[in-house]
Amino acid sequence: MPRIYVHPLPVRIWHWINALGFLVMLFTGFQLRYIGLIDVLSFRTAVVVHNWTGFVLIGNFFIWLLFYLFSDKIRVYHPELSPLKHFRATFRQAMFYGYGIFKGQPNPFHVSVYNKFNSLQSMSYQVIMMLLVPLQFYTGVLLWDVKRFSGMINALGGVRVVDTAHVLIFIFFAGFIPFHMYLATLGHTRTAHLKSMLTGYEEVEEEQGGGK
Amino acid sequence: MYGKRLATVVMAASFAVAMAFFLGQGTARAAGNALSPADQQCLACHSAEGFEKKLANGETLSLYVPGPAFAKSVHNAIGCASCHADITLENHPPLKANIASIRENQLALTKVCQSCHADIFKQYEGSIHAALVREGNQSAPVCTDCHNPHAVMSKAEYDAATGTPCSKCHDPIFKAYAVSVHAKAGLGCASCHHAHDVSAATTGDRLKNECLGCHQDVLAAHQKWLPNAAQHFETVSCPACHAPGAKLKVDLRLYDNAGQQRLVEKVGVPQFQSRARFADAEGTGLNAMALRSLLRGFNQEGIKMTLRGRLEASTGPGAHRLMDKSQAIRNCAKCHQAGASPFQSVTVSIVGPDGRLVRYGAKHEVLNSIISVDSIGGFYTIGGTRIKLLDWLLVLALLGGIGGPLAHLTINWYFKRYAKRIGGDEDS
Repeated sequence: MPRIYVHPLPVRIWHWINALGFLVMLFTGFQLRYIGLIDVLSFRTAVVVHNWTGFVLIGNFFIWLLFYLFSDKIRVYHPELSPLKHFRATFRQAMFYGYGIFKGQPNPFHVSVYNKFNSLQSMSYQVIMMLLVPLQFYTGVLLWDVKRFSGMINALGGVRVVDTAHVLIFIFFAGFIPFHMYLATLGHTRTAHLKSMLTGYEEVEEEQGGGK
Repeated sequence: MYGKRLATVVMAASFAVAMAFFLGQGTARAAGNALSPADQQCLACHSAEGFEKKLANGETLSLYVPGPAFAKSVHNAIGCASCHADITLENHPPLKANIASIRENQLALTKVCQSCHADIFKQYEGSIHAALVREGNQSAPVCTDCHNPHAVMSKAEYDAATGTPCSKCHDPIFKAYAVSVHAKAGLGCASCHHAHDVSAATTGDRLKNECLGCHQDVLAAHQKWLPNAAQHFETVSCPACHAPGAKLKVDLRLYDNAGQQRLVEKVGVPQFQSRARFADAEGTGLNAMALRSLLRGFNQEGIKMTLRGRLEASTGPGAHRLMDKSQAIRNCAKCHQAGASPFQSVTVSIVGPDGRLVRYGAKHEVLNSIISVDSIGGFYTIGGTRIKLLDWLLVLALLGGIGGPLAHLTINWYFKRYAKRIGGDEDS
């Protein structure tokens, strides 16, 4: 089966550090919020691991950001400016995952180097990478040293407001990440997308072979 | 009748002789602990134990001055006449009882103290004790409640071990303090609370600053192990961890969110208690909605009020039983878990016009309510005061995140099994 190079090395490095980091953040986040219910780590250890992992993730985010800012691959994130086209594609993709996939119908989306996200992915990754992840980093840094950032925290309405925003995004990721992992198994084989995120190469159907 | 008049005449005559002596030699002070001749004349009568007089209100005022104690006191150097300047040959002893009550006598003597100790009196006037006196509290201490004017000691001679004079009124606190690490180190009440400008313990940062004044490197020491140490210093009172037996509570304090100033009740127009009672329709403590409406009432033009919490010992004795740092609480879970004991008792407070806190009880559920996100914006403890609604949202997210894929897998399996029957491809 022909394959095309869709995940450059910096993106793969970012992705796997991010994946591991988010799992650690979710786990330590659960531990911090539900001590007494989950007692794998002490509260203090969970705080320290959560903080350090958070800073690693912030640094890692810049690998992703700088790579796309200084490469023409940023086109993969270009939004579809025609709402009609966008929603038509989104509907088609949702229909595929919700019905067509069960009947063995072909995926309506065809991956290419500059168009690797289907419209559902494109919409959600833009919200996640441009809004939720930066917001989570921002609120996390504020909560890391509440006293140092007290001016900003008070301007936002106080530590409870900032924490609530942080927890709401945590809740989103607690639901999104298992979903994301499952969707990664819906390639032409269960492990196709996983392999492509490791090697960089995505296998495509015959008629798409020249897409590299 | 004749005998009583004769006694009065004899007393007046002997006093006249004494005063003549006294006025003539007023400046001739005796050296060391010896009494001046004039003071000896006063003490000729006043050193008799049981010497007393009936006051207009029926109280008995002791006129007894223990001679040896006075001789040793620092006031010996100025002599009787310096303070009792109102006493003249003509009016002493007075024929009529001209002192209304012991309290009135004490208040009058306070002015005498002020004439020499003006700087100290100024400090006292800013104290919680003076504020209580101004409010008409009959038990609030004036100078003579703490200092026996005829046996005034130097500061160094106050006995930290007995807590005198503070323990006269604050005995339960002193008993708790007596077993503390500070008492064992020989510190007295004034070491932290100051002798004259005593402020309400729960107002402002003064007491915390007293702790930090001696324990100067303590923030750096905490930062080595305690995450967000500076924030803990602001939100958690020192005794909350260092008096390990103390029962803790949360005090939510009204602040204006713009200027970061603590809200102070205006003199003469107390509003907090009445507004809190109005908001708390059931009278069982403020709930989240009541708290929100109370805050709205205090919002001024363009200035929004918010509540900041502080974790503190719920009783004075508890707060004073400070122990060695080896016994301090280091277990984060003491506060950072659901249902933690410090969050079971909540008050809302404002600074009263006299500097003391005016408090009103609130239900502990306010700390876990989504309605309080805005009103208690300034207080949050990870785990301990987490919002319950968010717990349910998390459950829903997990159900969606894990249940969604499971449902999808199940449907996929169902389709595979019955693919032929419904006309799909078997290998989907």
